[in-house]
This record gives sequence, C-alpha cells and structure tokens, in this order.
Amino acid sequence: MNAVIAQAAVVVRRTIAASAEDLFDAFLDPEALATWMRPGTIRSTIAKVEPRVGGRYEITMQGESGPLPHTGTYRVIDRPRRLVFTWHSVATGQKETLVTVDFVTAGAKTEVVVTHEMLPEAARPAHANGWNSGLQHLEEAFSKE
Amino acid sequence: MGEYLSTRLDGVFNALCDPTRRAILARLTATDARVTDIAAEFPISLNSISKHIRMLERAGLVRRSIAGRDHVLSLNAAPLSEAAQWIEHYRRFWEDRLASLEKYVTSRKRKTR
Repeated sequence: MNAVIAQAAVVVRRTIAASAEDLFDAFLDPEALATWMRPGTIRSTIAKVEPRVGGRYEITMQGESGPLPHTGTYRVIDRPRRLVFTWHSVATGQKETLVTVDFVTAGAKTEVVVTHEMLPEAARPAHANGWNSGLQHLEEAFSKE
Repeated sequence: MGEYLSTRLDGVFNALCDPTRRAILARLTATDARVTDIAAEFPISLNSISKHIRMLERAGLVRRSIAGRDHVLSLNAAPLSEAAQWIEHYRRFWEDRLASLEKYVTSRKRKTR
C-alpha cells in the first residue's frame, strides 16, 4: 500500500522563515488564502473555510476563462503540526484527492511539506459517514511499511 | 483533465502499486516477451502472473498480440506519461503556492513588527 502512495504522490517541501503557527494559520484563514492561493493567471481568489474536522472549504480561483472552484473536507486539523484535507477540482478530474501538509519546526524556520496524492482505494469513503473508517484505512495503509 | 483521463490514471496508479507488476513493466522495457517467458522469469505461478498481466493490460500499460499459440506482450508507455503529467502539474502548483505562501507570511511579519 505504501507503494501506491509513493507512486501517486507529489511531495513538495519549502523551508520558510516563519513559525509553524503562522504558516498553519495561513492555510485556514480565508483572507490569507485569497492572497497566496492565487496562481499566475488567476485574477482573484475567494476562499470560504469551515476550519473543523469534517468542515468544508471552497477556494474559487477566478481564471481568465471563468471560475475554477476547488473544494474539499478537512480530515485532520492538528495545529501547528499537520493539516489533512481532500482536494477536488477540474484538474483532478472531479475526483477526490488528498493533501497532507506537515509543518516541521527547524529552529526559527519551519519546513512545510505538502504531499498531494490520489486517494488510495482504501481511503475513499464508501458512504456519507464513511470518512472515519476511510481515515482508519489510511492510517493502516501508512503503518504497513 | 476529464473523467475518462482520471479513471485511466487510477488504473495506472493501481497497476504501478505492485512490485511484481513494476518488474514485469521493467522487463518489457527491454524487449517484448511471451507470457510463458515472463512466467518462467518470475518465481510465482502462471496463474498469478496472468492476473498481474491482465491488470497491466486494463491499465493500458501492456498490449497483447496473439501469434498462433504465442501471446506476445509489449509495453505501451503512453499512460505513464499521463501519470507523469498529473504529478508534474501538482508539483509545479504546490512549488509556486509555497513560494507565494512564503512571500505572504514574511511580508505580513514585517508589517506587524
């Protein structure tokens, strides 16, 4: 199972001269998201956030050819260490993918590690209230080295 | 990326998640091979080799041509490049976003000081 994750995951790291708390909060604050979740061709971004486990977010990037909504659900909110949310957009083929952000303190700096992966079959909720067991499966998947 | 592509990518990633299937693909990058050749090279039963090959075929990574009694397998790398594109798209996306996050957080810190 780990191989699925290794094969299908994008891992991006960046060490930033800021506290883990400040960086963590920038992921959940609508005003902050509107500022930094704005790729080059995007004119503006509007973010709506329900910052609780099971809460939803909606980040709509206003592109040249129309709005690009990104939606998902928070699965883990462990300030300031880890944030896990699903990620769904046109670019994911309208399928749920999973983003895990780890904040690793290194002196006065923090390493932000983003892991974006296609949801392994076992981590997909089978029904509406299935995200709990989905997460459990995911944990099992991670523990099977 | 459409629904079709995304479903196909799922198949590719699922196909790649097994070491035997990756080894079969690696073998086929060298030359085409008969199913029986592959089976002889791997220390598992013909039955389970066949299952792995069928998964690779479903993912579009392996093509089978039948010549008489021989089933010859060849590699089709195109779906792999689609998977690589997905990964490349999000790698660039998150690299740019984290650069932007750095700018946002560090400029805000200067203002509040």
